[in-house]
Amino acid sequence: MTEGSEIGERIRSLSPASAVAIRMNPREYADDYFAVLQSALKERGDGEDVHTIYVSVTNPCGLVWSIAQALDVSPDRISFVDAISHTMMNYREPLPNATYVESPRMLETIMLRVEYLLRRHASARPMLIIDSVNSLAIHNPQALLTEFFHILVNNLKSRQVLTLLLIVSEDTVSELDQLVSLIVDETIDVVRPPG
Amino acid sequence: MVTATPPTESRPAPPRDRCVTGIDGLDNILHGGIPKGSMVLLAGAVGTGKTTLSLEFLVRGAEAGERSLFLSVTESSVKLTENLSAFEFFRHDLLEAGSLVIVDLPDMYSRLGLDHEELTTEEIGLLTRSILALVAETGAQRVVLDSLTSVGYRIRREERIRDFMLTLGQGLNRLGCTTLLVSEVASSEGRYSAHGVEEAIVDGVILLGNASRRGDILRVLQVVKMRGTSHSRAQYVMELTPIGLLMAPHLKGNRPEGG
Ligand SMILES: Nc1ncnc2c1ncn2[C@@H]1O[C@H](COP(=O)(O)OP(=O)(O)O)[C@@H](O)[C@H]1O
Ligand SMILES: [Mg+2]
Repeated sequence: MTEGSEIGERIRSLSPASAVAIRMNPREYADDYFAVLQSALKERGDGEDVHTIYVSVTNPCGLVWSIAQALDVSPDRISFVDAISHTMMNYREPLPNATYVESPRMLETIMLRVEYLLRRHASARPMLIIDSVNSLAIHNPQALLTEFFHILVNNLKSRQVLTLLLIVSEDTVSELDQLVSLIVDETIDVVRPPG
Repeated sequence: MVTATPPTESRPAPPRDRCVTGIDGLDNILHGGIPKGSMVLLAGAVGTGKTTLSLEFLVRGAEAGERSLFLSVTESSVKLTENLSAFEFFRHDLLEAGSLVIVDLPDMYSRLGLDHEELTTEEIGLLTRSILALVAETGAQRVVLDSLTSVGYRIRREERIRDFMLTLGQGLNRLGCTTLLVSEVASSEGRYSAHGVEEAIVDGVILLGNASRRGDILRVLQVVKMRGTSHSRAQYVMELTPIGLLMAPHLKGNRPEGG
């Protein structure tokens, strides 16, 4: 693989109307995370008419947005649903392209904000990124989370929306991996080019 | 999001005897809309979104060519017009064209000389006839009374409230009107109206409220009753947005029944 790396290639070639788990290695989180953002936001997100809806639960949207800016992503190509900044008391300078949910436990509100943004960008080809399954699992009981993903993902699939679920895990048999495997069409492990 | 059904364009046309509210989520819950000519109680505590839902119901109707009438006791028409501007889909020409009419009920009270605290049977009759005359005059097919509770304060006695609602309901039904009667209830009460007779008279009850999940408060909506249609009885989470009300299923997880 050249430049784009394997993960970039895989994400670029995903069909809309699919739900895909992107697995990052906890020991190489920072590098993996950057590779995922680069592939998803820049390489895939730059495609014709693509609009990215980014649900931030792990990192506040301010941080994700600064990475996106460094990648030269245009602000009209991405909207954030931030469900963590309030909880982290990190809400001083709200982004104009972000909507803030008071807590990561308000799963229905997250769904509704996504719905709102989908309607707002009705003419675009939307891509939803949920960052991350792990963080949602910290704040929500598993049964609730399963129901949430089930409703959200099926709804988005029927509307031709590509959904990426970011997950940090080492072994494919963890409870979270199993939960996610019931929802997604495939799982992609982040493999970066050496060096 | 609720909306296990496809978006509006591809949905089959609703039967002609339905009043399609135009609020997507609600129409899905009601399997197509409110049966035309129904009188529906819209109950909830203060701040649960009754006025906002009512206004959207009327604006969506006016946009779709159904004349709409808002009878307001609690808030002035000036204030309500301001609220309307929060909806992106609201157009001022709906007001100018008379497609959407907002009437301050206190003005009607004073025009009719209804200035006692408690209205007599005759005065209640006069009020009912005047409302029906106004509906006929404006040609309204959608009517909201915000609120029944405040009119009820001046009617006071249970049997008179029953008569008022029955006469009004029959008149509105004859005019082909679909009506929302707003009912203010205290959040702690397990009821839908001030007297408890109201919900028995109406054709439908829509309940708005708050649900708490470990300290976080969600707005919820539930159709408790609706004659003439099958409907979901589940609770939905609701958000008020500039593009109108949006609804999603209230997630239960393994929450025990009623919990
Ligand atoms: N489009 C909107 N977006 C966000 N909040 C709204 C919107 N419209 C109304 N609200 C808020 O919702 C709350 C409830 O509104 P309202 O419909 O007046 O409730 P009720 O009539 O049941 O007392 C108010 O605090 C109002 O500020
Ligand atoms: Mg009100």
